[in-house]
Amino acid sequence: MFYRRAGIRHTRYQDERQIWPLPFDRGLVIAVFLLALAAPFFLDRLYLVGYMLPWIIWSTAALGLNFLMGGAGQIHLGYGAVIAIGAYGSVHMVRSGIPFEIAMIGGGLLSASVGIVFGAAALRVKGLYLAMATLAMQYIVDFVIVHFPTISGGTQATIQVPRVSFLGLAVVGDAPTYYVALFVCIVVTLFMLNVKRTSLGRALAAVREKDYAAAIIGVNTFRYKLLAFWVSSFIGGVVGSVLAVCYYRAISPDQFHLELSIQLVAMVIVGGLGSVLGSFFGAALILFAPILLNQAIGFMAGGMGVAISTDLRSHVPLMLYGAMIIGFLLWEPLGLAKIYSNIRNYFLVWPFRHARQ
Amino acid sequence: MTNAPTRTAAGRRESSAASATETGRIPVGQQAVLSCAGIERSFGGLKALKGVGLHVEEGEIFGLVGPNGSGKTTMVNVMTGFYPPNAGTVTLFGRDVTGMAPHRIASLGVSRTFQNLALFKGMSVLDNILLGRHTHMRPGALASLFYWVWAQREELANRRVVEEIIEFMQLEDIRDEPVEVIPIGLQKRVELARALAAEPRFLILDEPMAGMNQEEKEYIARFILDARDERDVSILIIEHHMDVVTAICDRVVVLSYGEIIAEGEPRAAIADPKVVKAYLGERAAARHAGIAP
Repeated sequence: MFYRRAGIRHTRYQDERQIWPLPFDRGLVIAVFLLALAAPFFLDRLYLVGYMLPWIIWSTAALGLNFLMGGAGQIHLGYGAVIAIGAYGSVHMVRSGIPFEIAMIGGGLLSASVGIVFGAAALRVKGLYLAMATLAMQYIVDFVIVHFPTISGGTQATIQVPRVSFLGLAVVGDAPTYYVALFVCIVVTLFMLNVKRTSLGRALAAVREKDYAAAIIGVNTFRYKLLAFWVSSFIGGVVGSVLAVCYYRAISPDQFHLELSIQLVAMVIVGGLGSVLGSFFGAALILFAPILLNQAIGFMAGGMGVAISTDLRSHVPLMLYGAMIIGFLLWEPLGLAKIYSNIRNYFLVWPFRHARQ
Repeated sequence: MTNAPTRTAAGRRESSAASATETGRIPVGQQAVLSCAGIERSFGGLKALKGVGLHVEEGEIFGLVGPNGSGKTTMVNVMTGFYPPNAGTVTLFGRDVTGMAPHRIASLGVSRTFQNLALFKGMSVLDNILLGRHTHMRPGALASLFYWVWAQREELANRRVVEEIIEFMQLEDIRDEPVEVIPIGLQKRVELARALAAEPRFLILDEPMAGMNQEEKEYIARFILDARDERDVSILIIEHHMDVVTAICDRVVVLSYGEIIAEGEPRAAIADPKVVKAYLGERAAARHAGIAP
């Protein structure tokens, strides 16, 4: 219906290898992009800062983790720690007078250099054992941050982020912080989309699927596993820096605990492993489902006069939230992105039910 | 076995002369593409290879045959770096590669296919074949980020090469299919295409016709001959179908329990009483000897 493919003829390889070969997809992306750009002008402050900004930042983080989990097939249960290293590293750099742009890259490099050390475990172990190794990273980094006053500023301390400017513009107020986050998100998204159609993405996929077959076509599996950890940790570090400067504005160690890592893994899996769009869907579900469920229960309790004890009221949303994640994964184990793609494929051949897509 | 090289070199001259008249191709120099000497490899107490020596010359199709469990695939894994040999040396293109990592051996110009398919699921046929171009490309994170400036030109240049291979292997109509949905016969052909996409000088095929019917076998045999003649690859092939081996191989080596029991011109080698005995057993060998002319 919307996604007509008939009559679209690509005559050059670069047209066929476009990120979005169908005009409808391109139009949709442009519309979403314009909406995202205009968001500060028509969205209420609460929605912009309370919903859009965290969604964009967590989607970027999910993209970075998805590069590793979906792209290279390596699990990481310590991505929260990677983000923490980037956040603390760049905040300390900014506080010592280094410009934000450089501190952002610096935070990324710091995360990448620590992340690659734990990623080196991936050269020896796979699957659950790698999960344990990365879990160890989470705890070690947590411990180091809390117990070194030079990093955390002392026990229970919160470090304020000073005012910064990005590319000459002061990052103060709602709109500028939003645009900085959006800029980083777009760069990471473009990177992820391009990776899929270049030799890097194919080499990583080869390592993920069959490492012996990857070796026989000349892919150095060690190198690419490490590269995957490096790049993914770099993105995590940059996201940590954006998170600290644009969203939290004051960081403390408890913002980067294991729950965060688990939530990020959930975003990637619920959204769809290896899917760029899925990272956005996953982040949205994990962020907003609890809020929506909470409000729905609150509405039922208050507005409809259903008597619910406060105890139950605080726990029911969490239970429903868990059930929702399981439900989505039962419905489509490949994630929300696959559900979207099924709908899209339906419309590609509509009104026929089955056709070669 | 020690005087084998001179004998086989003579055999090679005849066969290359024959194939040259057949295909109009000028015989290439008698340079050894691969030579293995005294390869030994054991797994625990099992001696899979007991001092195997063989060499493949430029431009030939070399058959490696033998009953199940005779060490053919182990031998190939030794050549391609998966199993470093316990003793012996592997020389590729005049260079000692014993103990070298598989991806480095691949970058020297060696491709291979696997007995059980080793295609990458979840990717299209086209992407699988493009992966074969890996050693000709320079992947990088920044190249991916700035695709339009850094990577597009390389991608398109390699795409053109891959399209040539797709045409050569007649895979045009399935190039956009996910690789796991096409039939096994075609998957084998895609794997061969991926191996050829690397533009190898030496191609190793591990049972490329396993599980195929007569027609599919003939197709693959034709592709193998064309690859040798048009793309200048030397080929080592492991195969159980003796009709194919005798039809396309210039020379064969027969392995049994990790040792070479016969080698030379295919028909002569597989008619060797030791080979018949290894394949069919003592009694059948005696009967075969009785009826043989």
